[in-house]
Amino acid sequence: MSNGGGEGGSQQRELHGKRKISRGNDFAFAIARMAVAQICESVEVNSYQDSQTREGLRFSSFQESALESLTDVAVQYIQSIGKTAHLYANLAGRVDGNSLDIVQALEDLGSGLGFAGVSDDNRCLADSGVVKDIIRYTGEAEEMPFIYSLPRFPFSKEKRPAPSLPEVRGEPPDEHIPVWLPAFPDTKLCDQSVETNAGTIVQEIPIKENGTSLRSMQHSFDGARLEILKSLKDARDTAEAEVEGNPFLTVPLRFVEKDVSPFFPPLELSNQVVRINHVPDKHMSNNHYIPVLEASVPLDEINNKNGLADSEDGGKKEGARIQPTLVRFKIGNRKRPTSLAISRSFQEEGWFQEGGDNREKKSEIEDKRGRIDSQIVHSDVK
Amino acid sequence: MNHGQQSGEAKHEDDAALTEFLASLMDYTPTIPDDLVEHFLAKSGFQCPDVRLIRLVAVATQKFVADVASDALQHCKARPAPVVKDKKQQKDKRLVLTMDDLSKALREYGVNVKHPEYFADSPSTGMDPATREE
Repeated sequence: MSNGGGEGGSQQRELHGKRKISRGNDFAFAIARMAVAQICESVEVNSYQDSQTREGLRFSSFQESALESLTDVAVQYIQSIGKTAHLYANLAGRVDGNSLDIVQALEDLGSGLGFAGVSDDNRCLADSGVVKDIIRYTGEAEEMPFIYSLPRFPFSKEKRPAPSLPEVRGEPPDEHIPVWLPAFPDTKLCDQSVETNAGTIVQEIPIKENGTSLRSMQHSFDGARLEILKSLKDARDTAEAEVEGNPFLTVPLRFVEKDVSPFFPPLELSNQVVRINHVPDKHMSNNHYIPVLEASVPLDEINNKNGLADSEDGGKKEGARIQPTLVRFKIGNRKRPTSLAISRSFQEEGWFQEGGDNREKKSEIEDKRGRIDSQIVHSDVK
Repeated sequence: MNHGQQSGEAKHEDDAALTEFLASLMDYTPTIPDDLVEHFLAKSGFQCPDVRLIRLVAVATQKFVADVASDALQHCKARPAPVVKDKKQQKDKRLVLTMDDLSKALREYGVNVKHPEYFADSPSTGMDPATREE
């Protein structure tokens, strides 16, 4: 006590750290602490020194760090019993442990301190000195339940094993299946799945069709954009045709249609989307119709299309109409920081000068783009 | 052969003793709650539907903690008593479980706990700060 309760520093810190990690265990730890405190309080040593009083000495209070570390040790003790017993159970090829596993684990844990009969290598596990000690302890120590009644954890603890086959069907399964095996997943479901197998096969077809339609869209992008619309319509038509045949397909196909509608938004929004998409790759700054094809389409074609797009720039409605097809591709790109895009848009002028340096060859086109971009920026600002 | 039979009988008796003890645990309520022990056992991977085994673990842990505590108590008692300033202090002879005693007691059980020298522990509960030694 000379250092005035100044002990257990790192212990305390460790404990705190540990509890920060396992925050969900606070309740259990608090209860364990109370239980340990209760046990410690119950420990009594008769003081024979002053024989006239002979009163039992007990701990009446605790240093907090001492109590915490003792609790920690006790919890570790329980857990190492559990681990070792589990190990021995598994070693014997069992999942559930039995009493002998626990006795073995207790012997393992007590081997450091030693117990009666540990030297006898031919002893019976049931006759272990550890168990005898425990039996003696239970005889000596006063029975003292936990002071508080614990709240029940609000869900049923009984683990219901999966019903075995005869329980479900009532009739024994095939000969080669052991009786104790859990039943198969619902057999009715299995039958249904057989029925719906045809459906799933049909389901695959439109997916393929969608894929081809996308591909055809890409090709038609190179040519005229109207073809895309056509192909889209074709795809939808075929999809709808499939829907009539197969009720399972309605959902994904409607999903496609629903995907279209939210992107008919005000033009500014669509422009913004385009801008966000474009900032990272400078040379694509203007062609808000073609971000998807950046990889596949050569620049010259894109530029040509830009010419087309710019010439049709007044008719943005058409672009808006095509937007839905583009939306699907943009989703991946959106993660690029919008803040960056905004800041870039603020630095619009300097940025374009940079771009001009990079692309001196296509200065004419760039000039055009610059103009149109500034228009877009204005519309954004508005 | 005779010896083997005898040992077999003895084993039978031991087995009976163990089962009897386990059966008696149904009536014995350990201080550590069953749910708590079950929780920690489950965390360590051990699963068992039998309450008696959980109580066995609970009793074993209780015994362990009690042993450690009694050892610490012995250490606490064996320590030379602090210099008595007042008579009042001698009257309420309250023992406090300190890290000092605990680490000594735990060392016998193979747990090495060291207490840092300069850690200012929070004042121990239940102790009058006036009587505390600096």
